[in-house]
Amino acid sequence: MSIIELKGLHFSYTTGEEILKGMDFVIDERSTAIIGQNGAGKTTFVKLLKGLLKPTQGEILMNGRAIKDLTVAKLAKNIGMVFQNPNDQIFKNQVLEEVMFGPLQIGMDTETAAKKAKQALETVGLAEYEHANPYDLGLSRRKLVAIASILAMDTEVIIFDEPTIAQDYAGKERIKDIIRRLRSEGKTVITIIHDMNFVADVFERVIVFAKGKVFLDDTAKNVFAQKEVLEEAYLEQPDVMKLCHELGYEENFLNVEEFVQAGHGKVRRTYEY
Amino acid sequence: MKSISLYVDKGTLLNRIAPESKIMYIITAITVPALLGNRLAGAGFIVLSVLLLLSGKVLRKTIPLLSVSGFVLLTVLIIQGMFRAGNTVPLFSIGPVIFYREGTSFAMSIVINVINILLSFCVLILTTKPSDMIENFIRRGFSPRFGYVFISVFQIIPQMTETMSTIADAQRSRGMETEGNLWVRIKAFIPLISPVIMSSLINTKERALALEVRGFNSKHKKTFLNDERKTSADPYLQIILLIGILATIGWRVFVWLA
Amino acid sequence: MAGIVIEHLKYRYPGSNKLALDDITFSVNQGEFIGIIGRNESGKSSLCQAIAGLIPNFYKGAYGGKVLIDELEVKKVEVDELCQKVGIIFQNPFNQVTGSKLTVYEEISFGLENMGIPKEEMTQRIDEAMELLDISKYKDRYPFDLSGGQMQRMAIASIIAMKPEVIILDEPTSQLDPQGREEVFQAVQKLSKQGITIIMVEHNMEKIAAYSDRIVLLEDGKLIAIDTPQVIFSREDLIEYGVEAPIYTQISRKLGLKDKRTGCYPVTLKEIKPLLETEGGDR
Repeated sequence: MSIIELKGLHFSYTTGEEILKGMDFVIDERSTAIIGQNGAGKTTFVKLLKGLLKPTQGEILMNGRAIKDLTVAKLAKNIGMVFQNPNDQIFKNQVLEEVMFGPLQIGMDTETAAKKAKQALETVGLAEYEHANPYDLGLSRRKLVAIASILAMDTEVIIFDEPTIAQDYAGKERIKDIIRRLRSEGKTVITIIHDMNFVADVFERVIVFAKGKVFLDDTAKNVFAQKEVLEEAYLEQPDVMKLCHELGYEENFLNVEEFVQAGHGKVRRTYEY
Repeated sequence: MKSISLYVDKGTLLNRIAPESKIMYIITAITVPALLGNRLAGAGFIVLSVLLLLSGKVLRKTIPLLSVSGFVLLTVLIIQGMFRAGNTVPLFSIGPVIFYREGTSFAMSIVINVINILLSFCVLILTTKPSDMIENFIRRGFSPRFGYVFISVFQIIPQMTETMSTIADAQRSRGMETEGNLWVRIKAFIPLISPVIMSSLINTKERALALEVRGFNSKHKKTFLNDERKTSADPYLQIILLIGILATIGWRVFVWLA
Repeated sequence: MAGIVIEHLKYRYPGSNKLALDDITFSVNQGEFIGIIGRNESGKSSLCQAIAGLIPNFYKGAYGGKVLIDELEVKKVEVDELCQKVGIIFQNPFNQVTGSKLTVYEEISFGLENMGIPKEEMTQRIDEAMELLDISKYKDRYPFDLSGGQMQRMAIASIIAMKPEVIILDEPTSQLDPQGREEVFQAVQKLSKQGITIIMVEHNMEKIAAYSDRIVLLEDGKLIAIDTPQVIFSREDLIEYGVEAPIYTQISRKLGLKDKRTGCYPVTLKEIKPLLETEGGDR
């Protein structure tokens, strides 16, 4: 388990426009979803975590140690990030080689790297495509290759940037399983995401970014219940919660299961013929 | 990030003149001094270009271009002035270093030629919107498809550079070093260049589809949203420049025959 | 007017040994809103591109069967004539920006210039299209400076200006943030009210159920079913086709709220609301 602390984090690209205006919080073992409008600072934030950017003020500590002294490549041993577009990283013409690249770069020997890579492909359900060319696979499978290539690096912390884009129902369920599995292995999972239904189903903690600050930081249920605050941040509730709101329910339900469990008493009338 | 063209609209007469006239000007500015073999003619066109650029309010923008080439030209001046074979008559000296007349004279011809060409191109490039120029070509029969390829380069390249930095981020995030000695950089080359090429190809293919459904390959004669860039003075300008060129050719032939 | 007739459509991409489209037959009436659903790689995009004529005119490959729009066979029609019949919007907003125009206004003119529309008519069409898509305020902006949702609306405006009778949208909101998605859905609703035939591929089942007159379910390039949203989403075997029903249907199924007359569950908010107890009085 890793603890990441953010202390007084400020960032601007150019003098004047501040993107992150002072963030103080701790990322612990809970799976964490960061949501917010485009431009709220989410991507900048994860780039800072990965060392791709340096804070203009404040610091980031991982397990008590400041990360600013580590290069991106060295930090890669501890924090892995799956970028949004798999085409931005895939360059090998064989899936297995692509997935082995990261592990080899961070210093694993070939045997271990191959073993981790195969395990990762197993986890994402692409074991049979080991020898395929990544570009012969459709975009959604290519995305799973990108995920596998980071899983194989076996980092303590894993960041997902929009994992559900271009995924269909089966793809999303698979990614949900992957996240739950990582969590059960004690890994710290952080994601930037726009799919509120997905977040409601999987993530224990939701942090809302708006205008460079943290607007809300709580469990998924508590965050999504705050409709007005979400609207201010240009966000919406998961669909089931919207339904609760439409029906005027006091209590909020995150997903279909919760709704149905409580809802058995709520059937008002059946069809009238 | 905007397009990479150097054009800025200053609302001057030079902005309004047809691109063809400016192209004719470039041709005239290059061929006439060459045919006359006269450095004075070249210098004259330099002065003319400077005046035009001044009227177009873009003279200041030539400074970066001139300074880059200025450095190279200075090198030419020094090397030719000091070391050209056949240097006999000293012209001037700076301390122990002697510049000879023959070499310096030769270098000055080169300097004048290069600056003349550069400035006359600036008259075109700094005052003309690329799409205005291409649209005029297409109006006169140039292929719209080639025209599109030319224009889109200005905008697509900045987009590509943004992708390149994302790709570099992604690979560095997987533990790849990009800074360091030559060998490190060589190893980083393929993981960086390959996704750039692949994503460009994929984007190009998707863009080709989008263009196709907007009639890109239509055989129909094109119409234009923007009016043709020209003034009533343009035909006269072009005739004057053409006469200038022909007269110079005529004079040259005459001299050669005599 | 533009009805679409698809007869025994088959297609195989060059170099592939699998049929991307496998004997598809159905027709669409003018003004209908058709949703297309199915797992990834079930043939949804290929079907869209076949209706738009990109298959086979752009893609080559092995083609069989017919696609007729307004009784014109798509395979035999020239590009410029086809543009006036059918337009298509793709997933990625960036790759639909031509890259040859400096303002949104000029960008929308691109297709009209290619079609040879006279200048006066061009400006009128562009103004109308921008008005419909609510992007008039961006007319002087540099196209690549727009947000994803704005860019998609610009793409839709560019197609609308060409006045097609059919508009196809292939996962237009997949790459957008919630705000962008909402903007595009609203735009699509507006288009639908104009009487244009719309074909849309989407993963958001709640929206597809609410907008569509009929839904096409694809699997492995084959047409599994085409019917009303109620019938399609009430299917017990939907999950086998990699598709999840809208939440209203999932909830209804678990609470046993089936309309015995039709054999269907509610698929929209409007349909489920009367059946569930509300708190704080009737809403």
